Amino acid sequence: MKVFVLDLSICNGCYCCQIACKDEHVGNDWTPYAKPQPDTGQFWIGLTEKVRGHVPQVKVSYLPQLCHHCDEAPCIEQCEAEAIYKRDDGLVIINPEKCVGCKLCADTCPHDAIFFNEELNLAQKCTGCSHLLDNDPEEWSVPRCVDQCPTEALRFGEEEDFADFIAEAEPFRPEAKTKSRIYYKGLPKKFIAGTLYEPNIEEVIIGATCTLKDLESGAEFTETTNNFGDFWLKELPDDRTFTLTIEKDGYSKVVEGLTTDIDRGLGDIPMAMKS
Amino acid sequence: MTTLKTKDKTVLRSLGLGGYFGGGAEGMVDVKNGKIVRVRPMRYGWKYKKEEIRQWKMERDGKTLEPTWKSLPGPFSLGYKKRVYSPNRVPFPMKRIDWDPNGERNPQNRGKSKFVRISWDEAAELISGEIKRVHKEYGYNAILMQGDGHGECKTINTPHGHPGVLLEYLGGFTLQVRNPDSWEGWYWGAKHVWGQGAQGIMYPAANIVKDTIDHADMVLFWGCDPETTPWGFTGQFASRLCYFLTEVGIQQVYVCPDCNYGAAIHADKWIPVLPNTDAALQLAIIYMWLTEGTYNKEYVETHTVGLDKVADYVLGKEDSVPKTPEWASPKCGVPVWTIKALAREFAEKTTSIAHYFGGGFIRGPFSHEPARLECIMLGMQGLGGPGVHQHQWTYFGLPRAEGLAGTFFWNPEIEEQLALPVLSAVSAWQNQVIPKTLIQNAFLTDEPITFRGTGAQNALVHDQFIEYTYPIEKEKEGVEIHMIWSDCPCRITCWNYGHETEVAMRSPQVECFVAQHPWFENDCVYADIVLPANTYMEIDDIITNIRQGTMQPNIMIAEKAIEPVGESKSDAECVREVAKKFDGMLEEMTGGKTTADLQKAVWGHMGGEKLVSWEQLNEKSYWIYPTAEDWADDPPGFRNFYEDPEKYPLSTPTGKLEFYSQALAEAYPDDKERGPIPRWIEKSHNHDERLSSHRAKMYPLLIMSNHGRWRVHAQCDDITWTREVETCKVVGPDGYKYEPCWMHPSEAEKRGIKDGDIVKVYNERGIVLAGAYVTERVRPGVAYVDHGARHDPIKTGEIERGGAINTITPGAITSENCVGQIGGGYLVEVQKVSGEEMDTWRREHPEAFERKYDPAAGLRVEAWLADRGEE
Repeated sequence: MKVFVLDLSICNGCYCCQIACKDEHVGNDWTPYAKPQPDTGQFWIGLTEKVRGHVPQVKVSYLPQLCHHCDEAPCIEQCEAEAIYKRDDGLVIINPEKCVGCKLCADTCPHDAIFFNEELNLAQKCTGCSHLLDNDPEEWSVPRCVDQCPTEALRFGEEEDFADFIAEAEPFRPEAKTKSRIYYKGLPKKFIAGTLYEPNIEEVIIGATCTLKDLESGAEFTETTNNFGDFWLKELPDDRTFTLTIEKDGYSKVVEGLTTDIDRGLGDIPMAMKS
Repeated sequence: MTTLKTKDKTVLRSLGLGGYFGGGAEGMVDVKNGKIVRVRPMRYGWKYKKEEIRQWKMERDGKTLEPTWKSLPGPFSLGYKKRVYSPNRVPFPMKRIDWDPNGERNPQNRGKSKFVRISWDEAAELISGEIKRVHKEYGYNAILMQGDGHGECKTINTPHGHPGVLLEYLGGFTLQVRNPDSWEGWYWGAKHVWGQGAQGIMYPAANIVKDTIDHADMVLFWGCDPETTPWGFTGQFASRLCYFLTEVGIQQVYVCPDCNYGAAIHADKWIPVLPNTDAALQLAIIYMWLTEGTYNKEYVETHTVGLDKVADYVLGKEDSVPKTPEWASPKCGVPVWTIKALAREFAEKTTSIAHYFGGGFIRGPFSHEPARLECIMLGMQGLGGPGVHQHQWTYFGLPRAEGLAGTFFWNPEIEEQLALPVLSAVSAWQNQVIPKTLIQNAFLTDEPITFRGTGAQNALVHDQFIEYTYPIEKEKEGVEIHMIWSDCPCRITCWNYGHETEVAMRSPQVECFVAQHPWFENDCVYADIVLPANTYMEIDDIITNIRQGTMQPNIMIAEKAIEPVGESKSDAECVREVAKKFDGMLEEMTGGKTTADLQKAVWGHMGGEKLVSWEQLNEKSYWIYPTAEDWADDPPGFRNFYEDPEKYPLSTPTGKLEFYSQALAEAYPDDKERGPIPRWIEKSHNHDERLSSHRAKMYPLLIMSNHGRWRVHAQCDDITWTREVETCKVVGPDGYKYEPCWMHPSEAEKRGIKDGDIVKVYNERGIVLAGAYVTERVRPGVAYVDHGARHDPIKTGEIERGGAINTITPGAITSENCVGQIGGGYLVEVQKVSGEEMDTWRREHPEAFERKYDPAAGLRVEAWLADRGEE
């Protein structure tokens, strides 16, 4: 059974997966696997991006999303035309010749992975490029999006071959409870970062201990400022409230009420140590 | 189930868009029923086994970096089908409806009046007739050939320069000389410190990738985006290299006004500097090193000249202004403490500096100053020593392939029809020449134009000390230009002060303007005749993917993928159509050689017989160079000079790194912009573009402009699939897809601008509309707009809707004696466009708003065809 695995820590945001998918499916008719995808507006694999932090502590994270080829797929269950089926290799396909365009599947998919083609009156989505896998197996063992991925952040193959990855995979929309065949690692976690400096002598402060404490849970995260006076407290849980305590050579500074509803670049933080 | 046919055939292409000889970002193109069905990465193992090819490997801390067994093309390469079948392809030869060579030429209507369809024969007749008339009336130098710049990778049908072959055989022409538009500062500055280099860039640069991996602790990505610019040339290996640095713990620090695409994912530290103020930051770093004694004194003693003079200036002995971090901070916008920390980290850690052309560092006013200061910084830290190099990240310095020869344009054995087109792009080989940055002046003033150095890419340092004049003397056939033939019609959006160029193109002095291009874009709208060129998919060729840092050099036979779209012909064929109207000229130009003859000839010029038989190359369609067995022994970068400067001197007059240039001091004693040592230039008679200027009261933001992520200069602005990406275009409330203008939330808020608003970016030179992209990815004080968006004039010479930001760059050259261009680091203001203002424009310029427009792909050629092309 096939799976897709995505390591977001090496996704460079080039959008080539999204574009290779369009190259394969826009203007090309692969019936009975899929009719042509509309030129714009549909993303059988689609990237979203998020700018995180504040100048000068900023990162961008990218998230490719596609059909989860669920083992318990609500779309299959909902489809009254019996147009949606699961293949032996695990891929879920909407048969364009059976689809009656009722849109039920698109409305119920918890992963928002099914699109509606108004012109053709069809529900459409990722086919895992099964037309290539089936009809040209010598050339194709992976779908287009995977074939082009320049960093191998996106991979596809037999579930057992990715057992280690799957064991380390992070929960992604578990509430959908659809037995997804897509596994993610490196999902973005919140950060709080800053640059510490001494305002009187205008020097960065190196080696200061920066501790975030979640007063409610007692959880603590600690970093030491580097040669740029920077600290990056990463992998923080969402939606908590932290107190940041900075300490160096008996001097200290406390910043309260740092919430992780967003990533935070705190910029340059003065801590007077000299007069 | 019956088998579904996924393709009829597969052909190979170089999907890079760098052009000239050589390519990269290879691809496989599948064709079915005469149409391109898919464009995908090239599998190097298509016809060869991996064990047949000797590859390279680099290691650090037990981790390994290798070339991938598949090419890594960028998004516009994979989406290139949309470019080939773009609704904006020039479908047939076109003539401006009110241009009559026998009557009124109506130059004032260029960019306004529409076009009609003409036949190829009519087009050839019109152009040849004009050539003959201009030659007779003024002389052959009255025709300007614009045939340079980047483009598709082809060898026989190179996208640029073919008109020059015909014009040369007809007696000669005036050559537009392409300036080093993406690396100005090094060309005009660094050459005077470390010698010729590769057009000013540090060279030799062999094996600097390996040496940096082996020895560096830190790489400073200075004004450089490894996740953008390499895409247009060789694809995404640069990205993998950055990830490898992270894996082995080499610190990556980005110094740039924007949190660019590389910084956004790879940076351990982002230092947001104000655009074109790097020189202040560099001077303060040097100040720190001088005062703390943290530089390689021994090396400076034996390998450099002039540190004493630099020190006098930096320490304030020359002008009583010490260039301290406190001095630099308000100029460059970097906090004092961060400047000090960077200076110390740079001194303490083994550090290389990386670029990939373009960016905010090397294209501003006086760009030779930061370029030279960079050479000095590297020199003070032992340039050429282990891990201390200047990179164009992967462009130079990957392992040497075995048997690599070149199709060099100066090789006299190469057929002129192959060599001359490329020669025109890199060399000032005609008698009458004019730098590309000064073209508009040829039409806007009656004064002769003088310049020091042509700016030709392959010109030697010495050329910068020669004074040229346009036109040349009458007795040498000097004459003003009266006709233009361009196959690179993107002057408006890629070069300096495009608005002025637009006005120049309307000059009655230009009696005939021929543009030849696959797409009806940019300068084409100002042409009188447009010839439909075709794309690389529509021709047979041979491609040598050996330059620009391909990780796996190869040669490929490029079989035609599809028949030409519409009535298009290859660039070479377009010119041959005109040549047919001159007796015997076709034979003279081609020597009767067919494409197949030329393919074989190119293989021969590559030393093919020693590499792979012609039969094997044809049978398999490609051949991969093995990595040289002894590649790792090549001395990295300036290593020989580092080890023995007397035995291996540089090409400078003293053979050393010239922190002080006696040659500049003697040639240009009064040059206040590029003196013998690099300085901080606050302003000059050419440029007044600092935040300290009185102009900054009206225009308080500095423009940051990079090579676009989603196109290559002007190429690919019509791919519907990239235009869906949020950083590619911003959909305005009017449905138009605007070029993004990045602004920090604090700057947007001050101006009442919200994300997605239509804004105008403007200064005295004009107005450019854009879509606000409000983001933490750019520092305050900056408006960020990439160059190269497709020109869409609301009012020619004044108001630009398409987002072509270069329409409002300074017209003046880099500095008095350097004919480089300015591509960023100048003053503007940004305001929200009110509905009232837009309505006024709609009222005053209705035709601009009535042009057929499709948000998915942008402007379409029909917008410029009268009665759908029928007269």
